[in-house]
Amino acid sequence: MKTLRIALVVAALVVLAAVPWFGSDVLIQFGINALLLAVLAQGWNIIGGYTGYASFGNSVFYGLGSYGVGIAMAQWHLPFGVGLAFGVALAVTFAVLLGIPVLRLRGHYFAIATLALAQVMIAIVSNVTLAGQNIGLVLPPLNNDPLFYELSLGLLVLATLTVFWLTRSRFGFGLIAVRENEEGAEVMGVNTTLYKTMAFALSGVFCSLAGGIHAYWVTFIDPESAFDISLNVKMIIMAVFGGPGTILGPVVGALSLSAISEFLSSEITSLASLFFGIVVVAAVVLMPRGLADMLRRFRKTGWRYFAENIRTHRL
Amino acid sequence: MDLLVQVLINGTLLGGLYAMMALGLALVWGVLNIVNLAHGAFIMLGAYVSLYLFTYLHIDPFLGLPITAAVMFAIGYCVQRGLLNLIVRAPMFNTLLITFGLEVVLTYLAQLAFSADFRTINPSYAGDSIVLGPVVLPLARLLAFGVAIALTVGMWVFLLHTTLGRAIRATAQNLVAARLYGVEPRHLYAVTFGIGIALAGTAGGLYGTVSQINPYIGAALTAKSFAISIIGGLDNPLGVIVGGLFLGILESLTALYIGPTYADVASFGVLVLVLIVRPTGLLGKAA
Repeated sequence: MKTLRIALVVAALVVLAAVPWFGSDVLIQFGINALLLAVLAQGWNIIGGYTGYASFGNSVFYGLGSYGVGIAMAQWHLPFGVGLAFGVALAVTFAVLLGIPVLRLRGHYFAIATLALAQVMIAIVSNVTLAGQNIGLVLPPLNNDPLFYELSLGLLVLATLTVFWLTRSRFGFGLIAVRENEEGAEVMGVNTTLYKTMAFALSGVFCSLAGGIHAYWVTFIDPESAFDISLNVKMIIMAVFGGPGTILGPVVGALSLSAISEFLSSEITSLASLFFGIVVVAAVVLMPRGLADMLRRFRKTGWRYFAENIRTHRL
Repeated sequence: MDLLVQVLINGTLLGGLYAMMALGLALVWGVLNIVNLAHGAFIMLGAYVSLYLFTYLHIDPFLGLPITAAVMFAIGYCVQRGLLNLIVRAPMFNTLLITFGLEVVLTYLAQLAFSADFRTINPSYAGDSIVLGPVVLPLARLLAFGVAIALTVGMWVFLLHTTLGRAIRATAQNLVAARLYGVEPRHLYAVTFGIGIALAGTAGGLYGTVSQINPYIGAALTAKSFAISIIGGLDNPLGVIVGGLFLGILESLTALYIGPTYADVASFGVLVLVLIVRPTGLLGKAA
């Protein structure tokens, strides 16, 4: 069973990696977007899924990653790799400096504080001359979609392997302990502040790398799109749809939701976003623990699974 | 000096409207423990209801507010009864997601129904002002401020001194005990959410008379309402007034002395600071 699962994952990976050789340009471009979203969902999974802190501020990491690459390449004429490293450095600094006070907040208050941080960042970056203020930055173009595709895929593999390692490490167990019972974890000797901050920073590393790749790919960034809050909500929904706190859930959620929404926007353009909202509402009501839990339990209970979810959570 | 006085007055007038916007959010959050990310979308919807009443039925935007409130109450009641009641006992995170989904649905339905154009509710007296010596009081803003403060105070009286208000507060404090005393929570939750949405819708109607509206204004207004409820605290409508006035004045002063683009930095920066220093609000009870 376990070997079968590993074989399936490897086979899927080989097919995904081969897409640039047989896929059309449109498919490759869709792939880059979908893979980067999956990286974001996986990055969010570390803080939101495993640690249980509903971060609405991960789009800040994405934006800092975009601006790291943007500033390094457009203003300082440095290579892409240096830009990525600069973006990661910005994201980690942000995670440590603001993470420590903000991670003291629980529940709704944490969610709203991170939401507000994202708003503050848009406003601040719009006033920074080095970042091109609200006009944005134009990066040197590089027309090589297969390269961006493989980079995104590689990053997703790296993020997923990190999460896989998490589930088997002392650090990962510490995060789950924080999620299940923070006071208890503290009493058991887990340094919760350190663990939470590290999870926040790790989550930030992946989100900022995704932002950096995206910035170089689209060659243009501005504050509104780099720090877009709806992107943050998208990554949450994708992770939750697939199954937060699981290794493959966020990836499956991101790829399947991207595919559905891409299909719909090509069929009925204006209704794609509307559909997205409806899926979110329906998913929260009918399968609040995600696709992974549904697939596991649906075999036993069938359609009653949905009714049961409603019964346990309604007033 | 005159400029400063004028800015303070503008900030105060804006702040009254802000307070009214945040009131419904604070009520729903404080009583039902639902953090409604779709709050701004309901404000937007209320603005369109008022706009349509004015444009097609020629009802004065201020006199039409009771109708807007009634329509929005009905919408809010149905949303809570048919949808949100289904997830009240789910983890708090799910309520954030579902109300966000709702925000997306409302925004795009509004875009389909009303188009993405900027609109204003423009009664004949929209440009009139009262001039008091060196300061100018725009009439529409003054009226909006008056209605907002009256409704906010009215809300306070309602919660403290009526049977329904007491039932709502009782439910907030202890759901099980409230049920034992014959309160039907499903209905009461829907009524409370309905009142919250009616307040949001009324605030939207007022907002439409002083500012431009389009289907996308919701998200920013939600964020502002959060800032106000958190600065003011959730358990007291008067705190929300203070929070709204504080934010309105802060934004106007920041725009004057530092630059208009920093107004949002100031309001959200204060929000983050308040959260870190005193998460239950400046006027809220200590945790």
